[in-house]
Amino acid sequence: MEGQVATFLASALLVLGLGTLLSRRNLIWKLLGLNVASGGAALFLVALGHRPQARPPILGWGPGPAADPLPQALVLTAIVIHFATLALSLVYVIFLTEHRHTQDVPKLEREEGG
Amino acid sequence: MSYALAGVMGYFLAGAGGLLWPRAQRWLSALALLGGLGALLAWAPHFPPTPVGGGSWGITLAGDQLALGFWALTLLFHGMALGEEWRRSGPFLALMTLLLGTCLALPLSQDLFNLFVCLELTSLLSFLLVGYESKPAAIWASLKYLILTTVGMILYLVGVGLVYGELGTLSLAELRGGTWQWNGSLAVGVGLLAAGAATKGGVFLFAFWLPPAHGRAPHTISALLSGLVVKMGLITLVRLAAVFPLSGVLVGLGVVTGVGGLIYALWERDLKLFLAYHTMSQLGYMLLGFGAGALLGGTAYALAHGLFKALLFVAAGKAIAAGGSRRIDELSGRLSLSTSLALGLGTAAIVGLPPLAGFAAKGILGGSLPGWGKWTLFGLGVGTAASFAKLIPLLVPGPPGRAWRGEWPLALGLLAAGGWGLSHVPSLLSPVAWGQALGVVALGGGFYLGLRRFHPPLPRWTLDRACLAILMGGLAISLGLLFA
Amino acid sequence: MRRGAWLATLTLGGLIGWATTGLFPRPPLPPWEAVTSQWGARNAVAAVVLGARLYDTLLEVLVFSMALVGVRWALRPLPQTEGRPPVAESPLLERAADVLLPAIGVFGVYLAASGHLGPGGGFPAGAILGSGLLLLALARGIRALARELPQPLLSRLEYGGLAALIVLGGGSLTLGWRGAWLLVLANLLILAKVSTGAWVVLEHFAAHRGEV
Repeated sequence: MEGQVATFLASALLVLGLGTLLSRRNLIWKLLGLNVASGGAALFLVALGHRPQARPPILGWGPGPAADPLPQALVLTAIVIHFATLALSLVYVIFLTEHRHTQDVPKLEREEGG
Repeated sequence: MSYALAGVMGYFLAGAGGLLWPRAQRWLSALALLGGLGALLAWAPHFPPTPVGGGSWGITLAGDQLALGFWALTLLFHGMALGEEWRRSGPFLALMTLLLGTCLALPLSQDLFNLFVCLELTSLLSFLLVGYESKPAAIWASLKYLILTTVGMILYLVGVGLVYGELGTLSLAELRGGTWQWNGSLAVGVGLLAAGAATKGGVFLFAFWLPPAHGRAPHTISALLSGLVVKMGLITLVRLAAVFPLSGVLVGLGVVTGVGGLIYALWERDLKLFLAYHTMSQLGYMLLGFGAGALLGGTAYALAHGLFKALLFVAAGKAIAAGGSRRIDELSGRLSLSTSLALGLGTAAIVGLPPLAGFAAKGILGGSLPGWGKWTLFGLGVGTAASFAKLIPLLVPGPPGRAWRGEWPLALGLLAAGGWGLSHVPSLLSPVAWGQALGVVALGGGFYLGLRRFHPPLPRWTLDRACLAILMGGLAISLGLLFA
Repeated sequence: MRRGAWLATLTLGGLIGWATTGLFPRPPLPPWEAVTSQWGARNAVAAVVLGARLYDTLLEVLVFSMALVGVRWALRPLPQTEGRPPVAESPLLERAADVLLPAIGVFGVYLAASGHLGPGGGFPAGAILGSGLLLLALARGIRALARELPQPLLSRLEYGGLAALIVLGGGSLTLGWRGAWLLVLANLLILAKVSTGAWVVLEHFAAHRGEV
């Protein structure tokens, strides 16, 4: 049940993030939207590891079913990758702001060409 | 398989060492090339899939003809890039070594998540190298690339989640051997995976980051990206299609990509953007081949395209540097003999003139396609010849210039691959095939004369439109798989 | 365009949400205890990240390093912003940093070193240590701290750590090295990498913050 709620929440985050990415003109807003969407994808993966009344998948942490460790490991990797792309894209935004004095995407697009 | 992995690790180690000791990076890079060659010779005969790491969580790696071909291409490109960029300052060569290492790692992968991580690593390195010279136009192209591929990779990640949730494994090799049920969730997941891979793989409607990124990058990087890196997305699509019922999707995307890229290339006046649109169009050929189940034909075309497109980009970079302009009509008469020769050789190969690799690959690909596929190839070939006809004025040599460096491995590769094709596929030696190839080129030239006066308004693909296209494309593939 | 964009994303999100309804309840987990202890770990996530999927982790660390190379390289031609960053100074913050910092440091190293036994691991530990550095930067001023942690030393540490991790990972992948020592060593290297990386990003963003 909780897992299902979490995946619905993840879909909602994806919608929110990608919608923001598409409907805002400012680069910072776009990157924020992108980051929210990648958070949604990460939440989606973690939710798949869910088991009812599960314990952490660590040996010696009591009886009962454990959560699936594989999605957790995947998410650890995915989060670091998202951090890396976000850092690099922010650096590029700093660069463009310094050179073109704008973060407005249509304006940048007119200046730099397609 | 551990030989291959050792080769990949050697590349990564050489890259990291190059970042640590910038003075040693060119020698470390050359050493990695030698190690890669050794690894290729050592693992070439061993094809069976091997789990690395073992257990149910491990990553499956496997070599096949596709991986073998891309290894050879990557090593050849490494030679080319070292020849062109030996004296470049900064972390350029170290980053390039890492990029080439990733291109060695990805074709071996048979694991959905490992493919994701490899794709992200190629993306990140490409962003860095496209924006390497810190020109605002290149940085903007790079940022556009970054945002669009991240959207694609988010879709891919959700697809990984859906497939893992449904089937409980990430290993494509395991899925190919096992039995499982195709259902709705899986259709959506596979659709998203395909959309993500298509975004990385330069498919029309998904990848409008490609023309600016490939057009604005330093010219060696354009060659690497167009010849090699963009095909990493394609390999991912091929790996997916080997397990999931994606052949119809690949054929559809192939036709759209071939025609769409061609239409933009026909009227493009910027030399490097023109070549970049052609990369898209040529990816359509390969998708068509892979979709129709012609693994050998698709691979042959991918390798041949890598060779001639890299040669064209290297020559274009030199032409632009010598002519001081990016516009095709302003460059005529300003190219040196060696640059004209390289450009002419690349053009002859891309339009499919015998006896070069383009002709051989097109013959192998056409031979394994059904009738409609042959006609599509014919149409695309005429269009390609028509769009390349505008390069003819550039073939008149002007002042003398620098001799060939990185062009050598590519040109020799073109000739050798063409010769190999001609000696192994007897139908290519018939006069009919040669006549057909010449006929296509002549027809294309005629079309060029007719099309020259006509300038249709083509829609511009802004960031927002390109993003929307990725989402709509993902939706379309998912729904198509769901209701097929 | 705007309305169409929201419509498209909503349809896509709805489709994804619908596709997940078939995934629950999740099937029981295959046995994982034996595989975990085979890698010398007690925490199964550590066994996956640093054992069975060490290859992925290696590539991921490369992605992270490339982002840092990019931060350095792309900001290099830009002018640095002069003057102190606009950070509220307070004696309370300085005192807090003095008290908290040793604890943060010890906690970070502990999390990394014991990540194969319980919750923890190099990445969260690196993030914790990085935020400790942020606290220190707020207390002492980012310029002063940057002088104490010179860039060449940091980059050497970072790339050296990367090379060491590749050697370790390559040994594990091709020669079959395994055991608790490998996990501890890898976690500590990742800790060093992530914390220096966090500091590099912080320092560069502060130095190039521009005028508001």
